[in-house]
Amino acid sequence: MADENAVFRLDGVTRSYGNVTALRNVSLAVAGNEYVSLLGPSGSGKSTLLRVIAGFEPPNQGRVYFQGRDITNIPSFERGIGFVFQNFALFPHLSVFDNVAFGLANGAQPVAKAEIDERVRHVIDLVGLSGLEDRGVNQISGGQKQRVALARTLVMAPKLVLLDEPLGALDANLRHRMRVELRAIREKLGVTFLHVTGSETEALAMGDRVVVLDRGSIAQFAPPADVYDHPATPNVAHFLNRYNMFDGSLKDGQFAGPFGSIPITRVTPADRTTYAIRYDRIRVMPKGQGAAGPAIDAKFVASEYLGSSVMYFFETADRKVVEVEHHLSLGAPETYAPMQHYDLCWKAEDALVFGQG
Amino acid sequence: MSNTAAAAPSTNTGKSSSWWLIAPGAIWMALFLVAPILLIVYVSFWTQTTFKIEPTLTFKSWQTFFGSDTYINSLWTTLRIWLIVLVTTFVIGYPTALFVGLFVKNKTLSTVLLVICVIPFWTSFLIRVLAWRPMLGKEGAINIILMKLGIIQQPIEALLFTELSVVIGMTQIYVVFMVGPIAFMLGRIDPNIIEAARDLGADFWRIFRKIIFPLSLPGVVVGGIFVSVMVLGEFATAAALSGRKVNLLGNIIVTQVGSLKWAMASVVGVILTVVMGLVIAGFLRIVDLKREL
Repeated sequence: MADENAVFRLDGVTRSYGNVTALRNVSLAVAGNEYVSLLGPSGSGKSTLLRVIAGFEPPNQGRVYFQGRDITNIPSFERGIGFVFQNFALFPHLSVFDNVAFGLANGAQPVAKAEIDERVRHVIDLVGLSGLEDRGVNQISGGQKQRVALARTLVMAPKLVLLDEPLGALDANLRHRMRVELRAIREKLGVTFLHVTGSETEALAMGDRVVVLDRGSIAQFAPPADVYDHPATPNVAHFLNRYNMFDGSLKDGQFAGPFGSIPITRVTPADRTTYAIRYDRIRVMPKGQGAAGPAIDAKFVASEYLGSSVMYFFETADRKVVEVEHHLSLGAPETYAPMQHYDLCWKAEDALVFGQG
Repeated sequence: MSNTAAAAPSTNTGKSSSWWLIAPGAIWMALFLVAPILLIVYVSFWTQTTFKIEPTLTFKSWQTFFGSDTYINSLWTTLRIWLIVLVTTFVIGYPTALFVGLFVKNKTLSTVLLVICVIPFWTSFLIRVLAWRPMLGKEGAINIILMKLGIIQQPIEALLFTELSVVIGMTQIYVVFMVGPIAFMLGRIDPNIIEAARDLGADFWRIFRKIIFPLSLPGVVVGGIFVSVMVLGEFATAAALSGRKVNLLGNIIVTQVGSLKWAMASVVGVILTVVMGLVIAGFLRIVDLKREL
């Protein structure tokens, strides 16, 4: 992984608390000028990974490199890596200006007053907070606090900015707007953002590349479209929240599951034998009119209107819920009779099969 | 019927009826705080003769107070002791609070430590004061230990029955009132804020000056008010540990009341109340407690 362009690189990093291992032999290289999102369920070690990179916690094993330098034993404040906290962690008694100026005014290297003034005003302008410089940070909205937290980090001109669930404390509307803004700000500065999130839509929407973390290990590191279309492991498919997963067994090129045995062509190696089919790749057919190919019998339970699509919920004989998504651009939604049985069909080549082999 | 009557106006009358909640407190304060204070002001203008006091208004007691060195000195002594004890309780109390409230990460442990600070209060106030005598006396514990260790040859006599012993006693008794509020404020500081400051390159001293201390200031002010109010009204510690050499305004009130000089006691009482009012007002100018707490 000795990537020449890598801004930072983790080499076999392990971190454990007592006998709980939060990170297991993690290696990762991230290029300069890149937006990387780090997706993982809670407890997957994503915050720990961020804290190890920031230097708030030392790794038990492995090295951390930043701009070609081994920074494993360098304290956080000498690393030149910016950190944006989940709950913003603004200084509650200071104004917006003084919050942003804090690092310049109180850092190790003294910075001239005029330069502080100029850099702070420039970054406040960059994040769109001009005019609010003298407000107290308790007199501004959540989205504005988020910008102050970002500005406070960016004013130090870091080459790498770590964001710990930065949009988690905002309401849905604002979250959407800040996604666009965060990407725009990053592009203007040309630095690398590493953005931790528990939301799969946020990870896919924001990252140039997405790291998926599963129980302390990196399960996949790829562009969002690859992660979405070709999840590397059953767990990645599960985190994406877009796949119906069926457990079963593999034998002689056949997958035996709740829908019977179907011949399969390609198997992704994994420690679990699972058949995954995306929500929007399933077609609902009345009983007995099913097309050729794999199908499963299920009864209709409920539907949910999402604006651009409709989600249908079906229940199979073994009480498993199967979700089907119908994009409204493909035509008006069907109405199904509650508790009626239907055939859910898909094309064999749309499915992903994981298993030993 | 009563159902609709109760339900309908409840939204409108919510505001005015809630005032009734403070009625018991307000009546209590009016009867036992406001009225007595007004009475003291009134009595301070009464005419005092050796055996009697008459409600004939006069400035005589006030003139006596401000014309006498004894009384004026006692006012200065009170202010001096108050300032010294305020400083000592702060100097001893702040680091303690910093340790308990900020450096002890475990909330249970920090509560336990605060309770330990309060343990001396399980003994009576007078015993705590008097216990300093066998500690500080000429043949007291401290002198014996220092002589046994060979650090001093002669016992230090300045330890007891001086202003120093009063300051030592008061500091020990009141320091916990400084520790508590400060530790409380420090405990509320989000650890992420300190981590953020460190990540931005500030060293501990900077973080303390720019972040920790300003955020603990409301605690310092509350602690300062507690200590001030109690020290300004003190008389027992001074009486027990100064050998009657230190006369605070409180001691004068005790003596005047003891000899039934109600008018003079009232004058001193009014002066003490005004001083306390000024001190509290001064503290409240430092921070806006309503906003901070």
